[in-house]
Amino acid sequence: MPPIYPTLAVLAAVGVLLLELRVLRTGIFRDRAYWISMAICYAFMIPVDGWLTKHSAPIVIYRPEDTSGIYPIWDIPLEEYAYAFAMLTVVMLVWDHLGRRGVDPSPWEAVPVEADR
Amino acid sequence: MDRYQYLILMGLCVAITLPLEVLFRARVWRRPRRLLLALTPAMAIFVAWDLWATASGTWGFSDDYTIGVDLPGGMAVEELVFFTVIPVCGLLTLETVRRILRVWDATSGPTTERLAATARRTFAGDLPGRATADDGSGDAATDTTPQEAR
Repeated sequence: MPPIYPTLAVLAAVGVLLLELRVLRTGIFRDRAYWISMAICYAFMIPVDGWLTKHSAPIVIYRPEDTSGIYPIWDIPLEEYAYAFAMLTVVMLVWDHLGRRGVDPSPWEAVPVEADR
Repeated sequence: MDRYQYLILMGLCVAITLPLEVLFRARVWRRPRRLLLALTPAMAIFVAWDLWATASGTWGFSDDYTIGVDLPGGMAVEELVFFTVIPVCGLLTLETVRRILRVWDATSGPTTERLAATARRTFAGDLPGRATADDGSGDAATDTTPQEAR
């Protein structure tokens, strides 16, 4: 059995991918603003999540056998990046979906979008 | 003070991204209905996951750095703040990047001039494709200018 946290984190990330590609189809993965934003978010994730998970004085404590045990940067488990992808992306997806449906749209969203695709 | 570490960290995340709302006019906090609706599904899924992971021992929370208010199973109440604050940081980033790119794409000339023009027009709320500058009144739906896809 693979450890539970990376398993669920990857499942969550795949679930969010499928939600966009099969259900919501907002087109966010073709939006360069999304990729730039994710790069910025990952950059800020390092100090924030790094502080939460640092082994010297952790705020969040993982059961070692439930994680991948791989720490590419500081003490942040590798699967945390998949977790972050899933959490941030699903919120952005729903946010965009709402904008396309006319819920408090941003100026650039205030048009029928289906014709653009 | 140490017990407020998690909350202070979340407060810093709010503080550091607040200029995106105020100076760059991302208008995430100021669209509470859309924000609440966008946060709700993620909140439901990630809180359920968190409750389960905490109860089953996959992860836990330091008693030294949290205020000690726990949800069933031992999930720190700070996690609820986390699931609000961090997605808001992401949305503020997304809306700000879009706003800047929109202005950037409408400028031309040497890079330094484009950067300066983009900065000036972004802070001024001057969004290309709109008849009037964004005054924050929120009636963006009245914009009738044809827009290209993203």
